[in-house]
Amino acid sequence: MKKRTATVLPGLGGFVLPYARPFLAIALALLVSAGLILARGANPIAAYTAMLQGAFGSVAALANTGVRATPLLLGGLGVALGFKAGLLNVGAEGQIYAGGIAATAVGISPLPVPPWLHLLLTVVAGFVGGALWGLIPAYLRAYRGVSEIVVTLMLNYVGIQLASFLVQEYAPLGEQGVFYPQSPLILPSAHLPILIKGTSLHGGIVLGLVLGVFLHFVLRYTNFGFRTRMVGENPEAARYAGVDVRRQIFTALSVACGLGGLAGTSEVIGLKLRLFDRFSQGLGYDAIAVALMANGNPLGVILTAIFFGALRAGAGKMQVVVGIETPIASVIQALAVLFVIAIGFTERARVTRREREQEPEQERAVHGDQ
Amino acid sequence: MDRNGDIALRMVGITKRFPGVLANDNVTFELKAGEVHGLLGENGAGKTTLVNILFGIHQPDSGEIFINDKKVEVTSPRAANDLGIGMVHQHFMLVENLTALENIVLGLPLERPPLLDLNPARARFRELTKEYDLDLDPSTPVWQLPVGDQQWLEFLKLLFRDARILILDEPTAVLAPSQVERLFKTIRYLADEGCSIVFISHKLREMKEVADRVTVLRDGHVVGTVDPRGTTPSQLAQMMVGRDVFLDRRSRPLSESKQAVLAINGLSCQDDRGTLALRDLSLNAYAGEIVGVAGVDGNGQRELAECIAGLRQPTRGTVQINGKPVSGVVRDTSLLGFIPEDRRKTGLVLGFGVAENLILKTFAEPRFTRHRVMQWGAIQQEANTLIQEYDIRTPHSMMPVRFLSGGNQQRVVVARELSGDPALVVASQATRGLDVSAIESAHKMLLRERNRGAAVLFISTELPEVLALSDRIIIMFEGQIMGELDAESADVGLIGELMLGHREVAEMAAGETV
Repeated sequence: MKKRTATVLPGLGGFVLPYARPFLAIALALLVSAGLILARGANPIAAYTAMLQGAFGSVAALANTGVRATPLLLGGLGVALGFKAGLLNVGAEGQIYAGGIAATAVGISPLPVPPWLHLLLTVVAGFVGGALWGLIPAYLRAYRGVSEIVVTLMLNYVGIQLASFLVQEYAPLGEQGVFYPQSPLILPSAHLPILIKGTSLHGGIVLGLVLGVFLHFVLRYTNFGFRTRMVGENPEAARYAGVDVRRQIFTALSVACGLGGLAGTSEVIGLKLRLFDRFSQGLGYDAIAVALMANGNPLGVILTAIFFGALRAGAGKMQVVVGIETPIASVIQALAVLFVIAIGFTERARVTRREREQEPEQERAVHGDQ
Repeated sequence: MDRNGDIALRMVGITKRFPGVLANDNVTFELKAGEVHGLLGENGAGKTTLVNILFGIHQPDSGEIFINDKKVEVTSPRAANDLGIGMVHQHFMLVENLTALENIVLGLPLERPPLLDLNPARARFRELTKEYDLDLDPSTPVWQLPVGDQQWLEFLKLLFRDARILILDEPTAVLAPSQVERLFKTIRYLADEGCSIVFISHKLREMKEVADRVTVLRDGHVVGTVDPRGTTPSQLAQMMVGRDVFLDRRSRPLSESKQAVLAINGLSCQDDRGTLALRDLSLNAYAGEIVGVAGVDGNGQRELAECIAGLRQPTRGTVQINGKPVSGVVRDTSLLGFIPEDRRKTGLVLGFGVAENLILKTFAEPRFTRHRVMQWGAIQQEANTLIQEYDIRTPHSMMPVRFLSGGNQQRVVVARELSGDPALVVASQATRGLDVSAIESAHKMLLRERNRGAAVLFISTELPEVLALSDRIIIMFEGQIMGELDAESADVGLIGELMLGHREVAEMAAGETV
């Protein structure tokens, strides 16, 4: 019995460690970046203190962090849902534009409905826009076996260009007589409410937090979530257990893309208040980093998105106080993601090694003899 | 230069132990120049281990290898290549996206480094294809080639490397009958050219047709080397399966039931490669009996199990369980308990906890789900009951099964599949890779199901356990049932012959004994 516990405990370590992994990665990233800051002739402690103040030091700072975290959070949830279904949805950028376009179309239309309903319809439109956009990769992946990575990635360019086209003066969503291609303003009834007066913190963050908790609940506590995780972990076993694997992949990827659409929606109707050409500027790619860092865990996505948001919000203050340029925030972010992946690799190597040790030798011998 | 008849290769006293199993036990093997030497044996007899040692994939624990009477160390496949040893694996070692010619030069030193000049190789390719009368375009990507041509390509690879000793690991398994004939012609031709060939097969007919001598392996040691033309099939079969020890057979009351729980009628289906795996197979299994399915691996057993479970679509015929036709995956665990062949790939989600794996099929039932929300309290409770009942050793019910031992993983599968008291149990290679005590407990479990009144289909390539456990034995060969025997009085030699597809001889023998 004693021996058994000994073999099992490292397993327990492997069970607990995934939650510690991102924190370790962040610590390492901050450590390495401190070296860079030192090399630039600044005091890393002073720099990080300034960054902390810029991100959390005042109401305005907090609001700034929240605003920057919002699209990463919503987009990150979309990527994370894909992860859980075993799919690499790298199309958040395109979905942001698709959702933004759909939300804009509804948001600039004066509908004969009460303001709350107009807002609701706009948000739903954004989700549906992203989900419809996602039907393309979802169908191709589920029923035609085409890699969702390629399709979602390529659709990013389509989404960006489609939005560019639609906001031209001559196009359906373009505003007339202006210098810069943009849509008309979103009607006030379709605006996400501002949460703190005098800041730009809008309701998108609430939407993100609620959906993050909701998605966690769905994955953990519903049949849909159970099937999705089963398909993601082992599609062959899922098929054997009677799950319609294709349909599950189809649904999960569409919904994931819908969440990406919400990221674009909240940017348009919460922050920018109109559709601009190239308004996202790569938020969708950062969303992938967020989901990676959180290992697809929705609650982890919430924390990671806030961390990334804080990095961006704090970087400005840091530049003012110690003179380190803002791109250091991107450096820290990239390093954190890389360290998470690196730690994951060593982890996996450890697990595989143990599995190989545990695998009874007969099996190998017999299998070898076929 | 080796002359035909000289000893090209000697492997002396080869012993290879994998923890828990003696794969090769003091094996001595001799190969003459220009000879086709068959290696015959059941699954797990040690054939592949032996040729893997010769090809440098494994290192022997003891024993020596001589080539042309010179002692050699084969430390790696590359070293084997340098010694003139080449191998055609059962599963081809080809890069599908590269052309035929590129596959051949892959791994060879460059003619004009650092440039890759394919022209000399192309010229030689043309020469060889002409010599062997092949219609093979060097610039065709491998994925566009039919299986037969891919196998040729494997041969050409060896010829390019001037291999003199060729190891062919079940080369006929992937071929159609007409291709087999062509392959045998090639093998004979190569042998006449002075190549020495080790030919692994499960099929007696092929041994008789192509091999000059046959060495039979059983349980890791050599039973004997014979001339296949001077040996009857039943003698060969006896050598292959005859055993000194049998697992204990427990006596049991015979079931009187005439109620067919499983009824299979005229079933045909294809395997993953699209070739016919089951041919017009009919089979009944009655309540309270264990039907053992014996046969060499890859004769349709897997497809049979999958058709019963609804995982594979038959091309013809029907499967009924308790009178209900199977269409789509059977999830009802009171109808079917299915222990699949590969628990890690098919039977379990390794990243899921024990409890999650236990409800893999039943999670949507009302006792575990209310309004589509999973009732983890009830699930945990059920899991803990099953963990106790089936003696699953795990620290807690949420432990990912990845961290459990093979025996405990199998208990999770068994608990899930049997806890619903299914009318039919299909166990496919249920003991593969388990240690002795885990095998024992799996056997007990299946006997208990039988005595409960379930019909049990016990599919195994391990003949001893089929003999020990079954009430009735059917033998499968190339997707058909070769014969059906009463397990109590079954003659091992006869089973061996049927496993090797030798129906006529078997029928004759049966006629004699009855």
